[in-house]
Amino acid sequence: MIQRLLPFLTLIVLFVGLAIASPEHFLSKTNLSSVVRQTAVINLMALGMTLIIISGGIDLSVGAILAMAGLLGTMAMEKGYPILLGIAIGILTGCLCGFANGFMTTRLKINPFIVTLGTMGIIRGLTLIISNGLPVHQIPPAFSYLGEGNLVGVPFVLWVLVGCALCTHVILEHTRLGRYTFSIGSNVDAATYAGIHVNLYTTAVYAIGGALTGLAGMIEASRLMTGQPTAGQGYELQAIAAVVIGGGSLRGGEGSVVGTLIGAFIMGLLANGSDLLGISPYVQQAIIGAVIILAVSVDELRKRKLTAG
Amino acid sequence: MLLQLEGIQKRFGGVTALRNGNLTVRPGEVHLLLGENGAGKSTLMKIVAGLHRPDAGTLTWRGQPVSFTKPADASAMGIAMVHQESLLAPHLSVAENIFLGREPKGPFGWVHRRQMTTAARKLIEDHGFPLQADWRVDKLSPAGKQLVEICRAIQHGSSLLIFDEPTSSLSEHETQEVFRIVRRLRDQQMGVIYITHRLEELRTVGDAVTILRDGETVHRALLSEITNEQIIAQMVGRELGSLYRREPCTPGETLLEVRNIIRKPVLHDISFSVRAGEIVGLAGLIGAGRTELCRAIFGIDAVESGSIHIAGKPARVRSPREAVAEGIALIPEDRQKTGLATALPIGHNLTIADLPQVSRMGFFLDAAKERRIAAEQIERLRIRCSSARQLAGRLSGGNQQKVVISKWLVRGARVFLFDEPTRGIDVGAKVEVYEVMDELARSGAAILMVSSELPELLQVADRILVMRQGRLTGELPGRTTQEEIMRLAALEQGGAVLGDSE
Repeated sequence: MIQRLLPFLTLIVLFVGLAIASPEHFLSKTNLSSVVRQTAVINLMALGMTLIIISGGIDLSVGAILAMAGLLGTMAMEKGYPILLGIAIGILTGCLCGFANGFMTTRLKINPFIVTLGTMGIIRGLTLIISNGLPVHQIPPAFSYLGEGNLVGVPFVLWVLVGCALCTHVILEHTRLGRYTFSIGSNVDAATYAGIHVNLYTTAVYAIGGALTGLAGMIEASRLMTGQPTAGQGYELQAIAAVVIGGGSLRGGEGSVVGTLIGAFIMGLLANGSDLLGISPYVQQAIIGAVIILAVSVDELRKRKLTAG
Repeated sequence: MLLQLEGIQKRFGGVTALRNGNLTVRPGEVHLLLGENGAGKSTLMKIVAGLHRPDAGTLTWRGQPVSFTKPADASAMGIAMVHQESLLAPHLSVAENIFLGREPKGPFGWVHRRQMTTAARKLIEDHGFPLQADWRVDKLSPAGKQLVEICRAIQHGSSLLIFDEPTSSLSEHETQEVFRIVRRLRDQQMGVIYITHRLEELRTVGDAVTILRDGETVHRALLSEITNEQIIAQMVGRELGSLYRREPCTPGETLLEVRNIIRKPVLHDISFSVRAGEIVGLAGLIGAGRTELCRAIFGIDAVESGSIHIAGKPARVRSPREAVAEGIALIPEDRQKTGLATALPIGHNLTIADLPQVSRMGFFLDAAKERRIAAEQIERLRIRCSSARQLAGRLSGGNQQKVVISKWLVRGARVFLFDEPTRGIDVGAKVEVYEVMDELARSGAAILMVSSELPELLQVADRILVMRQGRLTGELPGRTTQEEIMRLAALEQGGAVLGDSE
């Protein structure tokens, strides 16, 4: 039980530790909002990744999807379309990319690692072709509210994140789609034999993951106030790490929204704390890498105990 | 005396695979090892090959007591095994495979490729094998791969060669080729142990025979001194696990009808039907095509031709999804691999085949209804668990099987395909499974039950279909005898009565 709570305890220890080490800076409202804003993007991607990983899949192309969604969304705004439509275009772009990933994984029966490794390149390449490698700058100023605004004194992205997390949690735990996701990830043969439309639900999971990534892309664009074709590089690994630290298994069938959120915040706090304490970003990378391995080994130990007992 | 095994015992967890295995092999002898599925033949041979260590008993090799801790020990003594599934490196050449791990070394540890190829070529020519030293192994037929394994054994200087069902995947011509080579090896004073299921083959190659039953050597004889009938009588007659006996009920309309299903090479023109209230047994040896038949009916494997009719109407079953929609349920042979999500709670496994039933607006799960259904099923099938939230993988085999069956009760399936429903579960739980099957049949379901345990078929089935090499070789009443079933399952002439001739 203690081991199950370990990610959560780690988060609290980290939080308390940082509060003691650097009280005036860490607990300042500006700093805490900045942590929230920084982690919101990875958090949203990680929510989608949670679904995908529970279904036994993986998506390496989310970083590229983020960039394409952000680019197309801001390009629409640049052309004079309303902000909300631009955001919708970003989300839809992500959704379509995710659908393509799911479709290829299920119909061509190619390992999702390979498919998304390929689409990672394709989507990134298309984004660069469309933008000619140049960022989009002509964005209506009001768009910055999505990433930088506050609602009732709290960063607007936090509301978005909470809303998306709740929806994902409900999908995962209280809908047929969620149950099938667990079932497919846990034992795809048993799911097939139970008459489940495995291809359909797997594709849906990738599409939802893509949509969440599209939204993350718009938030990223809003924070930078640019549609950056090179945005999101390496984000896929952070998103996967968040899921894994939060107890998700790359073998499928395991994972939770709460776990993923904790995982993403642990990484966010580690980064923020290192900044505050003046630890070099080079060391930060190594620390986060070590945390991933530590978290997974603890989880493996717990599971081994379960099967042994 | 080349090899002598005495009083070999082996347990795997709670299952006794061998209780008293005895075997004696002379040089220059082809020794047949016979027995029903699960009699312990393969386990005994794996002990000889050093893959398993016996719990008790002695192994004597050329008069010396030996004990093998790993396959290399047996191999160093000159014992080689030709496996059912090829253990060759598919992307390497025939010569490379023959010398794998024993390549002739040149200076600096380089492989002496030319020397290796020449030696392989000579070996192949000496024995007249239809092989080329530079062929890639993955291009070879199953028979060709076996020949490569035989070459390896000869090259390594083996004096005892074990064949584990070598001909189950071979064509008639290839089988004859393997036999020719086996005879040749015998003439060179090698010992050969040959596990087979196909009785009719044995006369053409064998010298002596040892028969296993329930993990025990029950009979040893020279082949010239024993008739096929006597062999069958020794093979069957496993003890009844329980005294259960099902009372047949009056069958209703025909629910499942299979017409002329063909899926070469595993299914040849299979037709039969099962009526509501009936339990039809399906007997046959391993490789007879029983599981393949279930898979074809359930839409897992596509058939070349033939049709399936459910309750008189032609059914389109090209995937498990369509099969489930037609009311067909499969309780698969390997429940951990294909029947259950062992890492998920029992409750989730119970409702997975019919989530719409426990959904509101077709999407949101109704937790209360789900709990109620799970509780009902746990009660109805007496699934012993701490709660519906317990992980399915932590149940005993029998209770896991009940979960798999329950899933289809929740779904309300009408045609049930049980593939080895009681494999690996204890006697008490077996009877409970029979009772569930009986209850299902009485409530109007049609049941096809594949089983390798003949007593079980006799206890439960109303009629028994027998398959052999992908063909239905006969149909027997439920009150038949084990000998009768085994005759149809194992002997050529059994098939001549009903089987078509191509």
